[in-house]
Amino acid sequence: MRPFKYSVTSNVNSATKMLTANPNAKFLAGGTNILDLMKEDVERPDELVDITQLSLTLIKPITEGMNKGGVSIGGLGKNTGTANHPLIRQSFPLLTQAILAGASAQIRNMATNGGNLNQRTRCPYFYEVSMPCNKREPGTGCGALEGINRMHAVFGWSENCVAVHPSDMCVALAALDAVVKVQGANGQIRSVPFADYHRLPGDTPQKDNNLNQGELITSIEIPKNNFAPKSYYLKVRDRASYAFALVSVAAAIEMNANQIIQARVAMGGVAHKPWRAFEAEKFLAGKEATEANFRQAAEIEMKQAKPLEHNKFKIELGTRAIVLALTKAMNGGKAS
Amino acid sequence: MTEENQNQELTEDEKQLFGQLLCEDQNDLTDFNEARRNFLKQITLAGGGILAMQMFGGEVFARSINDPLNAELPVNLENAVNVAFKVNGVKKSLDVDSRMTLLDTLRERLQLTGSKKGCDHGQCGACTVIVDGKRVLSCLTLAATCTGKSVTTIEGLAKGGELHPMQAAFLKHDGFQCGYCTPGQICSAVALMTEAKNGEVSYVTPDVRVKPGSLQLTDNEIRERMSGNICRCGAYPNIVDAIKEVHSGKAVAQTWDFVDQKQSTQI
Amino acid sequence: MSEPKKAIGQSINRVDGLLKVTGAATYATDYKLKNTAHAIIFKSTIAAGKITGIDTSEAEKAPGVLAVITHKNAPKLNEKGGIRGGAFLQSNIIEFHGQHIGMVVAETFEQARYATRLVKVSYEKAEPKVDFEKHQKEAVLPKNNMDAVRGDVETAFRDAEYKIEAVYETPIEHHHPMETHSTIAFWEGDKVTLYNGSQIVNGAQGAAASTLGIKPENVRIVTPFIGGGFGSKGGQWANLVLAAVAAKAVNRPVKLALTRQQMFNSVGLRQRNHQKMRLAATKDGKLTVLAHETTTHCAINNEFVEPCGDCSKVMYEVPNSLISYKVVPMNIILPTYTRGPGKSTGSFALESAMDELAYQLKMDPIEFRLKNEPAKDPSNGKPWSSRTTVQCLQEGAKAFGWEKRKIEPRQNKQGEYLIGYGVACGTYPARQQNSSAIVKLIRKGTEVKATIELAASDLGTGSNTIIAQTASDALGLPINKITVKIGDSDLPPAAGSVGSVGAASFSNAVNDACIKITDELIAKSGKQFFVRPTAATMMLTEKLTEFETRVDAKAPADAGNYSSHSFNANFAEVWVNSMTGMVKVPRFLAVTGAGKILNPKTARSQIIGGNVWGIGMALTEESVLDPRWGNFVTRSLAEYHVPSNLDIGTIETIFIDEKDTIPNKLGVKGIGEVGIVGVAAAVANAIFNATGKRVRDLPITPDKLL
Repeated sequence: MRPFKYSVTSNVNSATKMLTANPNAKFLAGGTNILDLMKEDVERPDELVDITQLSLTLIKPITEGMNKGGVSIGGLGKNTGTANHPLIRQSFPLLTQAILAGASAQIRNMATNGGNLNQRTRCPYFYEVSMPCNKREPGTGCGALEGINRMHAVFGWSENCVAVHPSDMCVALAALDAVVKVQGANGQIRSVPFADYHRLPGDTPQKDNNLNQGELITSIEIPKNNFAPKSYYLKVRDRASYAFALVSVAAAIEMNANQIIQARVAMGGVAHKPWRAFEAEKFLAGKEATEANFRQAAEIEMKQAKPLEHNKFKIELGTRAIVLALTKAMNGGKAS
Repeated sequence: MTEENQNQELTEDEKQLFGQLLCEDQNDLTDFNEARRNFLKQITLAGGGILAMQMFGGEVFARSINDPLNAELPVNLENAVNVAFKVNGVKKSLDVDSRMTLLDTLRERLQLTGSKKGCDHGQCGACTVIVDGKRVLSCLTLAATCTGKSVTTIEGLAKGGELHPMQAAFLKHDGFQCGYCTPGQICSAVALMTEAKNGEVSYVTPDVRVKPGSLQLTDNEIRERMSGNICRCGAYPNIVDAIKEVHSGKAVAQTWDFVDQKQSTQI
Repeated sequence: MSEPKKAIGQSINRVDGLLKVTGAATYATDYKLKNTAHAIIFKSTIAAGKITGIDTSEAEKAPGVLAVITHKNAPKLNEKGGIRGGAFLQSNIIEFHGQHIGMVVAETFEQARYATRLVKVSYEKAEPKVDFEKHQKEAVLPKNNMDAVRGDVETAFRDAEYKIEAVYETPIEHHHPMETHSTIAFWEGDKVTLYNGSQIVNGAQGAAASTLGIKPENVRIVTPFIGGGFGSKGGQWANLVLAAVAAKAVNRPVKLALTRQQMFNSVGLRQRNHQKMRLAATKDGKLTVLAHETTTHCAINNEFVEPCGDCSKVMYEVPNSLISYKVVPMNIILPTYTRGPGKSTGSFALESAMDELAYQLKMDPIEFRLKNEPAKDPSNGKPWSSRTTVQCLQEGAKAFGWEKRKIEPRQNKQGEYLIGYGVACGTYPARQQNSSAIVKLIRKGTEVKATIELAASDLGTGSNTIIAQTASDALGLPINKITVKIGDSDLPPAAGSVGSVGAASFSNAVNDACIKITDELIAKSGKQFFVRPTAATMMLTEKLTEFETRVDAKAPADAGNYSSHSFNANFAEVWVNSMTGMVKVPRFLAVTGAGKILNPKTARSQIIGGNVWGIGMALTEESVLDPRWGNFVTRSLAEYHVPSNLDIGTIETIFIDEKDTIPNKLGVKGIGEVGIVGVAAAVANAIFNATGKRVRDLPITPDKLL
């Protein structure tokens, strides 16, 4: 870990200004990812701005505007508190399950909601500074492209980067059409639809998302929906707990009698960003909620996938995971 | 055969050891009632009378006990940050390198070596401590961020001449082998009791939409919630039993069977 | 003083448990020495070639840095001094990725860690041999030939009606004790003290002394608590002596702890094994052929081969048998002993193949095994001192509800889960090794206390506790009057906690010492006794204040005339998610015949621990190399999946109560190793029973069950 200046602020404006003033500065919130990466010498800030004292922790119902009836989640709220907030558990249980599928109790007690969005990939070539990695050091190549890429992307990757976004929480937020509220140094708040927040690697894999230097996530808004009775977050992994996803699926269904009004499906562990399965959703709208329809929707989605040498299994696994997640959502989202 | 515990009083040596290990203030971290404490006290003393003090002639303890505030300032401290916080109820104020984690501060500067470094990257849980009532990883916490906070480590759990009920239950159930992950496991388990009382859900909770309220933990709930603490010796079943016992307040029997050779050959 | 209840066989709590639950147990880096500096190793980023330049100038100038030590300025070390895998920093040659190439010593940990990033190294790269798939055909006979042939395997196999030929693959695995290999070294004149987790105390002392070129008596190893080892702290690795080198260089105590990431290429590993099995049987289930051919890898200039064929040598009666090994040197760190060395991996192949052949014969796999029970050790013709395989299988079947198992797979479904049962056997040799022990008695008034001293170790195995129990019975003193001093090379030399020899060696040495001191006290009194008095009584009646003796204990002279082993049978119930391929093991039963169980509580923990290791081996654990560069891509505990709490269900333990005093007087056989043997096969066999899918390469991750 390189030497760095430790600064504290209790004001959003000054926080964003401090980061704008120093391009080598980073925010410190939960610290679970940035400190890990600094110890690995992957992140090398010369200043950390501690923002944990900012009052951006509230979870509250949205009473006006476009997302009225939805919920606003503070960017600096902790993952545990968010998952367990009565409003989230009641109305957005998909988010609760997704958060609780990630990391460990200790890490969820530390990690913030904004930090969860901004966590970086777990690709081992990114983490090992002696390896080539375009994300860490643009122009050095992608170590994983022809390397050990079992954990890597099957959607939306480029020759420059095949890494996946590691978050579970974000997969649920993608499915729920969340909106990210971001404040910059000018004090202005802008809204970024969740689908536009994270990026595909393209030829700039060093950029994980569309946040500008100095911008801070103040809150995340989830619009009102009718998915609460029928949603489920499924995580398939190599170890029963405390492991990153091979494939995960956030599924949510709104029914009218036997007919699906709308379904939401998003996937984790398959792309550089939480992967919204729009094709599957399109197919399901208006259909009956049968296993055959779930399978067909899943197959349509996974048809677009382009596997790498070691992750061909993700096509079949992804298909099955979508079917199972939708099935479990239909059954009330009960864990098994 | 089911284990039979014989009650035994603490020896003088053990009492002395407890005295030295005790937390310095009497704030209760958890709210176990008196009845449960008494029940658990029986467990503490059950089994073999142990003479930990004797093992190393007391020298190990004398070292850390006589000099608990040794926060000697290293030379060349870079980007020094003052941190003023409470550790196990005692106020501490010291200057640290901005890079110093809470874990290294506890171990290297405050001589609280109970918290362990297993991976230093948040992947094992051996460094788990309780900060302001929540279990966190001290290896991913900068000491600089701890000003004004209250930290409880394994050294701060035993109080008033008694082990914390969770410590007693780990001892009874042999919830460890090498003991290296144990301080983290116990801190994690202590915080888990509060989480259950607050009705916090987990990934294996059948229905997260149920109204928050005190939760009775199943074995699987305990396993999932303790999965952030890796035990390479594989003491998990014993850890689950220890936590179950403290959580339910009822004794959990440890069982194993012996089969007589002659018996089995007649089958 | 009233006669105490027998301590041996009691399930008492660990005598060091209080220290462990209060955080007061002192592991290597928990000692506070004044003025301690911190060292951090840095490593090669190529797997083969040479260092052509190493620029430490920037690191040396970094704040707090006291020294940067590389092959250019390191003292000469004896490369053949017994440090496993070599001492390093002795030349510019690189033989594997992540080889130690230097270390920074600084005032603080933060400063040392940062400065390692400032060292610039240039290399001349050679083509590394790291791809086992590619290089295994170059494998040759090991220098240490362990092959064994009986009968005519080829003919018998060719002519057999029922037979299996299959290859079983086990991946590279790492020990990953929770405590990384860590040392505090400090010099007082010519003498160095090394606080260091050491499974073999005297072995660590000898290797450190010889490598540093000093006399053994000038090295003191202190290791009262060890944060796990599982073989990786059996032999000692370069970090131990490098800590001493660093301490000498800066003339201060130095703390050197490997990082978790460094554990992958610093302290050995369990190598990948390619095991070709051929089994044949008659229609009625009598084995006719058992061929077990292992191909594996070792270090480029250093051989180690795990004896994967060991179980196959002794488990079944078979007229035609072949055990063979081939090894290919590669640019991968030297493999070493890992829990259940050879037996855990070998039993996966053997016991999976037995299950496959049983299925082919449409025979219950327990019945199949019982039909091939050998009356004596088939490998050497020696009689068994005792053998409990039959009891383990029969008792286990009864306790587990084996009769509910269907021979055909995919018969038991619940929701999306397929449920299956599997069984597999295991064994591990029982030995007593030479150990010395001193017993000291002190009387104050009417109180007699004892101190037991020997350079044994306790890495969570419970040595402290069983030594105290043994001494309690043998001296006639309650446990709380006994002090056990182990984990220090200044104490009488003892066996290590390796290869399941610890309990037998330590307890028998202590027992012998206690008998001897009692004999001596009786002789000294010159009196005749109708009933043999205890040592404690003699101290009181003879009004002695201090008395001590020492014994150098050995295994019984005729122990070698018998074949002595622990045996087990493992039963697994698995639930396979038919959609995701994720496997749960909600129930596991291990039935073990391991001689006298000194303490059922700690013994049960050892068995459970072995079972957890075996479940990890079956389902989650694998270290993966990038074949281009030889680096491990599973480079932390986030990618190397040690089982988590949720991976483990209920584990039941049954011990066969056997009395076998042939291997040693107390009849102790050892349990640390046998607990893992056969476990992975039981899980894999259960997965076959659940799904009809036979997975022959571990670990059985979800992708393999789709």
